[in-house]
Amino acid sequence: MLREAARGPRRPARGAALLVLFLGPFILLTVTFFVAPAIITAVLGLTDLDETFQGSFVGLQNFRGFLVDPLLPRVLLNTLVYVVFTLGFNVGMGLLLALLTTYLPDRAGTTFRAIWLLPRLTPVVVYGLLWLWFIDPTPYGLFNAVRTRLGVPPLDLISWSPWLVIVLVNGLIGASLGMVIFTSAIRSIPEDYIRAARVDGASNLAVVRHIILPLIRWPLTFVLVAQTLALLTSYEYILVVTGGGPFYDSTVYALYVFRRAIQNGDYGYGAALAFVLVVVGALAALVYWRVLRFGRMITEPKIEVD
Amino acid sequence: MAQTAAALRPWRTAAEVARRAQRARRRETVGRLSLYAVLGVLSLPLLLPYMWLVAAAFSKNVSYGLIPSGFTLENWRFLWVRNLGLVTGTEGRLPNIWQVVGNSLALAVGTTLVIVVVATLAGYYASRRSFPHRTAFLQAALMLQAFPSITLLVALFILLRSLNLLNSMTGVVLVIASLHLPFALFVMKGFFDGIPWDIEMSAMIDGASRLRTWYAVLLPQVRNGIAAIAMFSFLWGWTDYVFVLTFILKRSAWTMALYLSSVIGEYRFVDYGVMAAVGVFYMIPSLVFFVFTQQYLMQITLGGTKG
Amino acid sequence: MARIVLEHLGKQFGSVAALRHLDLEVAHGEFMALLGPSGCGKTTTLLLLAGIYRPTSGQILFDGVVVNDLPPQDRHIGMVFQSYALYPHMNVFENIAFPLRLLRRPPDEVRRRVAEVAALVQIEGLMDRKPSQLSGGQQQRVALARALVKEPTLLLLDEPLSNLDAKLRVLMRAEIKRLQRQLGITTILVTHDQVEAMTMADRIALLKDGLLQQVGTPDDLYYRPANTFVAGFIGSPPMNFIPARIEMADGRATLVGEGLHLAAPDALVPVLASRRGSEVLVGLRPEDIRLSPVPAEGAPQARILDIEPLGREMVVAVTVGRQMIVALADHGFGGRHDQPVWLTVPTGRLYVFDPATDARIA
Repeated sequence: MLREAARGPRRPARGAALLVLFLGPFILLTVTFFVAPAIITAVLGLTDLDETFQGSFVGLQNFRGFLVDPLLPRVLLNTLVYVVFTLGFNVGMGLLLALLTTYLPDRAGTTFRAIWLLPRLTPVVVYGLLWLWFIDPTPYGLFNAVRTRLGVPPLDLISWSPWLVIVLVNGLIGASLGMVIFTSAIRSIPEDYIRAARVDGASNLAVVRHIILPLIRWPLTFVLVAQTLALLTSYEYILVVTGGGPFYDSTVYALYVFRRAIQNGDYGYGAALAFVLVVVGALAALVYWRVLRFGRMITEPKIEVD
Repeated sequence: MAQTAAALRPWRTAAEVARRAQRARRRETVGRLSLYAVLGVLSLPLLLPYMWLVAAAFSKNVSYGLIPSGFTLENWRFLWVRNLGLVTGTEGRLPNIWQVVGNSLALAVGTTLVIVVVATLAGYYASRRSFPHRTAFLQAALMLQAFPSITLLVALFILLRSLNLLNSMTGVVLVIASLHLPFALFVMKGFFDGIPWDIEMSAMIDGASRLRTWYAVLLPQVRNGIAAIAMFSFLWGWTDYVFVLTFILKRSAWTMALYLSSVIGEYRFVDYGVMAAVGVFYMIPSLVFFVFTQQYLMQITLGGTKG
Repeated sequence: MARIVLEHLGKQFGSVAALRHLDLEVAHGEFMALLGPSGCGKTTTLLLLAGIYRPTSGQILFDGVVVNDLPPQDRHIGMVFQSYALYPHMNVFENIAFPLRLLRRPPDEVRRRVAEVAALVQIEGLMDRKPSQLSGGQQQRVALARALVKEPTLLLLDEPLSNLDAKLRVLMRAEIKRLQRQLGITTILVTHDQVEAMTMADRIALLKDGLLQQVGTPDDLYYRPANTFVAGFIGSPPMNFIPARIEMADGRATLVGEGLHLAAPDALVPVLASRRGSEVLVGLRPEDIRLSPVPAEGAPQARILDIEPLGREMVVAVTVGRQMIVALADHGFGGRHDQPVWLTVPTGRLYVFDPATDARIA
């Protein structure tokens, strides 16, 4: 203790050194590769940078270009359908799975939940591979193999209903998040409430309706908000399975950004498109924060000595 | 009151009780069976493809898309053939699988190292020390964590290009690591938060400096946290697709994701066996992770409540 | 209003026997307490009665009808949980109305019954509040109301007073007892607090390790304990147990312990004579022991070890040789640490137990 006191005037410098050592790398990396790109996106959006990496400032031209982009309306429609239906599937399926598996004995429930977690844990490309095999338009694919067996001609699912495909592809991944969250929420409902409800005369269905569902409103909100945000901005799976096709029929907004910017090389325009998404993302993150009172997560440290 | 009580009571005689009991028993069995049935119907279609994948990887022929036959290891020739030929035979060949594996490992391990080191350091500091603008810092980190980083792809591409980090594992490592740092920070912070202050206080009273306290006393306590984010980081690096797709253009720098993607493109309507074999090979770390953490995953309470 | 019979009721959890062959009868409108230390099986019994657990052996009968296989929702029971288990997302009215809504009673009947029972437990003004806005005592009343609103066949109370502060506890004890008398509903209360059981119940069933030790009125258990466990559990401060030997001389029996000679009352002589010379445990309640500062005829001498003043009385611990004995003295007792005192048992109320079986001999 005396040693510490004797260090006196050196402490502020030492404190600063520790701060740099511990927080420095974090701050450096996140600012460079996380914060800066956000700003770059905004700046880029104001240029007409193309695949030759030459461009100049063009002000809001790109943004005005949205209005005359022939592909954009279809993309927006795709995005709307995709988000709404996949959200419904994710939340609905997640809830259903959670409810069903919590009524089973632990082992069985865990097994089913493990199966539903497989898609999420599979590398994107492998998951895409499995889907590609499933929807293969030749009789090699599972879907059409079954159809052939039943004497029905093969069907190219992607062409027939691109929306259905992208909703299911992402739905199977997304449902597992809701499932895990809802399961733990249901499990954390004190046993006494369920017992009291039974003694009060409630059947299983009544317990679900009157006790379980009302008490998981919080996690439900969380999943809705989190999933909406994720759906608006993710496109990996669609990219692998449909590539956004046929043509642009299964391209959602986030994928459109990728296709225009990275595949076509319209960096300026792409950045402008991305900028919209960045703003949406930032707003959603704010909502996330507000709605779920993340502030509770931060408490002051207790040791004040340096 | 006795009269109205009887009015509300749903049973009165032994026969009625027996009937109700029987009905309840039947409802229970039917309920349980239909539960299994529904879950089975929902889950089987998910399981089948994976079973097919493994089967097809070792089969010569996959008839009717489902039933494999003819055990073979031919599909795995990409492991020992110098360069797996492309079906079209026109352009250059696919890179050697072991070079690709090397790249993937470099990416995965690199990401893990960066994230573990940076997040543990920052997590400790954020958890146990006060510093100016601490609240603002944590709030900012929280917002970043919730933010969809994939939207920054275009900017990151341009950024990496100007830093001359395209086509290099370093670039991708830095990007993936940085984008996941806020999440990792909060996980580690959470673990540090869970250490009682008493331990640290008593170490300090015993004469240790804060730095020494950190690595001798606190670090061992958060071993689980480090293990957790190490596992996640490895997988993020190993399974990444979009970033490697965008930032890696040189064939020799390909990772497994790109290799498989190319194999799919080439062999898709010709030979599912090869595709499946590469797929299974690629999936091994994920499967290991899955098996080891199955129980643990079930117990995680996600989102919003971790302090 | 039902007669409850438990026949050889048992419950196993894996290899653990929580309850073993319990035989018990509760009469119409009786207030029965299930008393015992934690782990004795009393809560298990309650949950078996509620239908939340299924018995592994034995039967439960309501009015002569076996209800083993009847699920909780069909048993028409009211239960107050230790945690009250008030549904947090419903207000007081909705909580109480819940059982009636599940029975699909018409809305005005629901309103009427809820109002009636709310008046009964005096919570009329709290109808709109959520459980989190209520005090502990209020929550308990709401829980009671919810249990009573369907006019249950049987009322189950799981440690209803343990979460209340001392003052409220005394108040609610009287309240619940009054309510039970008024409504005449067969009630079974589970508690680990013997004062609760003694003051509220018509009869008490004392359990230990899943086995029934004794069932009877409070007086039965207090004055005629069946074994050392019952004797030691009922009464506070607990009974003293002193090892002694039965010695007979001239038709009189003396219980000889270390430094202690206690003359046994004549009534007990025949029983003791048949066991002359054997080792026994003598039970003495602290309130039956008198401490005298002056030597008394034939009274053993002891030294004061510790004095705990309790206001109107004092708990005095004394030592006789190496044996410690606890006695009660009134507040005028002027003794001090290490002073000698002399013990007498003026009431002649002592109990004799067989050390091998723990059963009471006399």
